[in-house]
Amino acid sequence: MWTYEKRLQFPVKITKTCPKTAQLIISQYGGPDGELSASMRYLSQRYTMPVKAVGGLLTDIGTEELAHMEIICAMVYQLTKHLTIEEAKTAGFDAYYIDHTSALWPQAAAGVPFTALEFQSKGDAIADLTEDLAAEQKARTVYDNLLRMITDPEVREPLKFLRTREIVHFQRFGEALEKTKEKLNEKNHYFYNPEFDKQMITRE
Amino acid sequence: MDLQHLAIASVPMQPWGQIYDSQTALKKGTIFQDLDMSFFAADDGGNAGCCCGVSEAGDPQQQERERLMLEIYQICFTVDDLRLYLDTHPQDVQALDMLKNSLLQRKQLLADHAMRFYPLTMDCMADIYQAGAGAGCYCWQEGPMPWEGACV
Repeated sequence: MWTYEKRLQFPVKITKTCPKTAQLIISQYGGPDGELSASMRYLSQRYTMPVKAVGGLLTDIGTEELAHMEIICAMVYQLTKHLTIEEAKTAGFDAYYIDHTSALWPQAAAGVPFTALEFQSKGDAIADLTEDLAAEQKARTVYDNLLRMITDPEVREPLKFLRTREIVHFQRFGEALEKTKEKLNEKNHYFYNPEFDKQMITRE
Repeated sequence: MDLQHLAIASVPMQPWGQIYDSQTALKKGTIFQDLDMSFFAADDGGNAGCCCGVSEAGDPQQQERERLMLEIYQICFTVDDLRLYLDTHPQDVQALDMLKNSLLQRKQLLADHAMRFYPLTMDCMADIYQAGAGAGCYCWQEGPMPWEGACV
């Protein structure tokens, strides 16, 4: 169950139309390392996690990622809200405009549509948490790359905020992995899968 | 815990450290100074503030609402970051104390916003009805949508 709070997690107030920037940022909506992928990844993985607190953490981070998706969408929306047809033609937004006008649709910067193939839910806590650590790093790189290219401070402030969140989430997933290790065979972490071979977990 | 082993990733558990006040934390993206690891290309010389400033000119009522909204952003973000920390550090009494204080402030600020402007959550509707102030009003659709510019 979720409830909606009528505000963003971080304020977005962009006054200059820039379809080119929108075209780049939209990758964090529907791209391979985007916020939609992130939220679906964590919210899918949580059900079978062997440590209850890790399932809780995945729920809370997955929920925060939904709020990040909303921040990214708000940015794309504000960057294209007053788009003229001339701007759409010249700024590299033309192909997107033909299919979606100025509506929001989850795709990568290069136009590849969002797909669940961008993330895994593997049913093995070590595999999944290691993917989550990598996912946070990949998303941080996207924000690094965006910050190298974009100069408008109204766009940079939310991007910097989101970049730091990736680092914080990485730390939390690392801690979740440490907690998960307590459920494993001490001598051989790969002796069984704590998500599936439940009868073999001896320590609670 | 915190033992390194072959063939598996290890991240040290974060100890409680220096904490940013809620205004700084929102700008930085974390309440934890230890996790504030900036990127050289993101260094704007400390000039760029949080873009949700309060409008300089205009309606005093609007400015008042923006001030309150900014405070809500700040305290709610402190709650968000503390929650993730407590998910992996449930025994940390300092974090827990800070969470308790922040949650009470959040509740009060959301209620203030509902009474003076419009509700941000369904629970805030209860505050309005309890006070009898807007008892005849279905106020959920009042106020700008969040994506229209947070403080607008």
